[in-house]
Amino acid sequence: MTTVLFKKELLENWRNKKWIWVPLVFILLAIMDPITNYYLPEILDAVGGIDGAVIELPDFSPADAIMMSVSQYSTLGVLVTVLLSMGAISSERKSGVLDLVLVKPVSYTKFVVTKWLSLLSLIWSSFIIGMLASWYYTVLLYGEIPFTMLLAVIFYYGLWLTFICTISIFYNTLTHSPGLVAFLTIGTTLVISLLTSLFGTRTAWSPANLSTHLQELLITGDVPSALIYSAIVSILLIILILFASIYSFKQVLHNRNE
Amino acid sequence: MLEVIESINWSLVAPFIVIQFILMIIGLVDWAKTKQTNGPRWMWLFIIIFLNIIGPILYFIFGRRE
Repeated sequence: MTTVLFKKELLENWRNKKWIWVPLVFILLAIMDPITNYYLPEILDAVGGIDGAVIELPDFSPADAIMMSVSQYSTLGVLVTVLLSMGAISSERKSGVLDLVLVKPVSYTKFVVTKWLSLLSLIWSSFIIGMLASWYYTVLLYGEIPFTMLLAVIFYYGLWLTFICTISIFYNTLTHSPGLVAFLTIGTTLVISLLTSLFGTRTAWSPANLSTHLQELLITGDVPSALIYSAIVSILLIILILFASIYSFKQVLHNRNE
Repeated sequence: MLEVIESINWSLVAPFIVIQFILMIIGLVDWAKTKQTNGPRWMWLFIIIFLNIIGPILYFIFGRRE
């Protein structure tokens, strides 16, 4: 039953073109900054520069170029992910499709997990394709960077995206307004990031620090222990929130049926 | 200005432009097929065509009616 549901999800995302436009947008996000920064001197020359002022542009290393892509994902990538997932369950509940699906012998757990998996497969595929594009441009324009580093970026930053997807699925089970889901997900992410920077080194293990530690990894070449702690905490939180989503989904539907 | 255009390696920038173009085409095809959108249908046509990158994304997220 799970595979049937999962195939239905994939088909639906294919029909509403998510499988086409999300990877394309993720590629654009990844390659935008490396290309623009590479041509920045020419662009500044073309607009005439500032009278006589010499603008010192930093020389970007390959690690900087990869981090440019990651920082695009931290802002616009997260925004797209949240907007994309805001209706995953909530809009089906609103439109009544949910009742049609749950008439069949589908357990609530499987339903939530399938929704989560289909969202993750879309985001991870797009993210991997995007990072490969970023790697290609980095090697071409800025210099060599080992492929294992790229894999590390994909794995650790993918955890942060997974974390956001899971939060979104959790709010999806709580409310039937997609707008509210998006608002709450972005709000939660902002609060986590704010608290993390507020407490500084005491919250080195926070999932929000994954990209900071990644930068360290790219520059020094060794895996900082804080990165491993962040990864473990992220995985634990993801599992916890997923269980919470299943629980809240059951509660909400149970209350409604009574 | 001409020098700048010549100095740019177009094979590097081309994928960027092509992807934008594909996004727009997919948006337009989808727009042409749907009868109803959230909000005025013609408004979405202009958004898809005139807002680079963001236009088609906005349409896919907010414009489509499931």
